Amino acid sequence: MSTVQTSVPPTESGRATPPAGRRARIVELLATDLRALPVVAGMLLLVVYFASQSDFFLSSRNLSNLLVQTVVTGTIALGLVFVLLLGEIDLSVAANSGVTSVLMAKLAVESGMNSALALVIAVALGAAIGCVIGFWATRFKVPSFVVTLGVGLVLNGLQLILLPTAGRYSLLGTGLEQIAGTFVTGPAIWVLVLVATAFVFGLRWTTHQRKVQHQIDSSMLRQVVLPTAVTAVAGAITVVVLNANEGVPTPVVIFAALLALASYTLNETRFGLHLYAVGGNADAALRAGVKVNRMKIAAFGIAGALAAIGGIIAASRILGVSVSSGGGIGGGALLLNAIAAAVIGGVSLFGGRGTASAALLGALVIGIVGNGLNLLGVSTDVQLLVTGALLVLAVTVDRTIERMTAASR
Amino acid sequence: MTTPLLELENVSKAYGGVQALAAVSLRIAPGEVVGLVGDNGAGKSTLVKTMAGAIRPDTGRIRFQGRPVELRNPNDAKDLGIQTVYQDLALCDNLDAVQNLFLGRELVGPRLFGGRIRRAQAQQRSREVLRRLRLDSISLSRPVGAMSGGQRQNIAIARSILWKPNLVLLDEPTAALSHTASAQVGRLIRQLAEDGLGVLVVSHDIHQFVVEVTDRVVVLRLGRVVSQFNSKDVSGETIVNAMVGGNEEVNSAR
Repeated sequence: MSTVQTSVPPTESGRATPPAGRRARIVELLATDLRALPVVAGMLLLVVYFASQSDFFLSSRNLSNLLVQTVVTGTIALGLVFVLLLGEIDLSVAANSGVTSVLMAKLAVESGMNSALALVIAVALGAAIGCVIGFWATRFKVPSFVVTLGVGLVLNGLQLILLPTAGRYSLLGTGLEQIAGTFVTGPAIWVLVLVATAFVFGLRWTTHQRKVQHQIDSSMLRQVVLPTAVTAVAGAITVVVLNANEGVPTPVVIFAALLALASYTLNETRFGLHLYAVGGNADAALRAGVKVNRMKIAAFGIAGALAAIGGIIAASRILGVSVSSGGGIGGGALLLNAIAAAVIGGVSLFGGRGTASAALLGALVIGIVGNGLNLLGVSTDVQLLVTGALLVLAVTVDRTIERMTAASR
Repeated sequence: MTTPLLELENVSKAYGGVQALAAVSLRIAPGEVVGLVGDNGAGKSTLVKTMAGAIRPDTGRIRFQGRPVELRNPNDAKDLGIQTVYQDLALCDNLDAVQNLFLGRELVGPRLFGGRIRRAQAQQRSREVLRRLRLDSISLSRPVGAMSGGQRQNIAIARSILWKPNLVLLDEPTAALSHTASAQVGRLIRQLAEDGLGVLVVSHDIHQFVVEVTDRVVVLRLGRVVSQFNSKDVSGETIVNAMVGGNEEVNSAR
């Protein structure tokens, strides 16, 4: 019989081993571990540019304002990441955020319901809308693009029906305006930074310990020390900068918690892994026993819940709800910005690729452009041009890296 | 002769008026590599799917380790330790080798933490399995989409044996591979047999693969077993002749 082959890897007409050399290695790193690098670099360039053009840009007050604006887009984009990872899309998230926040306002203002209860009902409704979409798309095999387009319009209609003839509910006096209007400061915020640092340390430490236990290479410095230090330092800088104003806006704290939860779910749990698996090859996942339909319903449900949370923060920020809540009819700029944020952050529209932090990165880029151009007194038309161009640029860079790795196979 | 691992007796299957399998009898012993060859439409796929539990035959008996069994669905086959590697491999290109090996059967921690995946443990087991199969060169952490066809095929085969099966069915494992990669897959198949597994491999690559890798060749034509050969004393030409209907000699090897 055939001789036993030893450890030297076979090269099958050059396909097994990637082309030697530094370039191929850099491309592969960019495609995997350093995927976020181009976006982060681009974001820093934008920050440097706007800081050089406007003294106010880097002020604590402006950064605080910028972050709260970003949180609304970021929260909705975070939910979209779950759906996009499956290779699906949800065009109803903006409408969902509108109708749920209007319902919350109606319950709190008109029916005099306890505000906290109204808020919980709104988030639950958001999740339920998502689950119905997921069920419909899987049960009747209708593309999610179409289902969510239709559902979005239905929700827009419901929003108009729910609103009073005045076309607006004010949240003043309900307590709900406090969500976006308050700040976490003093010892409390430092405790939160400590909790976040401990969370990252705990995750990394257990991972490192298990690797050592199972004889898998692991570096204490790269696995544990660096990520923990980065979390602590980034948290501390954020707090110090924002404390110079009034403290960390409550929505920023809420978003950080949601981001941590989403990251954990995607990176550490079976549910998260299966989202990637379904997005990579749904048929293979199905044959491996993954409950694909259930995954889809859950992902749309998560997107719906996060859309509702984003809508509530938006309503709280502008102290009320109106026809234009949820981006207005069709979702408008809110929907487009949320999708653009996820995509700029590196989430593939074809499924299987992207991270939770993509929502933060992408929303920050869009937020910085909007805020910076506003400060420079640039009109809306130019803002749209710049945001659109950035979207196309980001996806082009992403696809180019993808193509280069494919070519190096 | 040892008890056959899997034994098919007069298995037939018809689709409408088409007789896909006509009274096929076949046995696979532990430690044996059986090649299944035949022209397109000879019934190879139907036969593999029957053994994998994906198709229920109309008539005929199936025995596993001497006991009569019914394969009503793929899970029945899996429960007996029959694993199938289909031609499309069913890999998720965006996941790495470890994630693909354990897909759907992840090792997870307590529910309290949302079923946190025990990745290091899976990595260690994957490394052991790949090492045992002499596939050390496969990276555990690269997405399998960035790997060569041969490596992907080997990962699919490694996945099939991860849970210690008795019998592995391979559908066209070398269809898209270069000669060197096919040879590598061939070595892996021999290794499985040396570990005591039964292997059935469907292939069109008669001259360079079937003759080299298998112990015995079963030739199907129009749903019937028309010939069986001992691989070491048969030429590729003889097998091809039997496939297309050259001479009807039946060389019952065992």
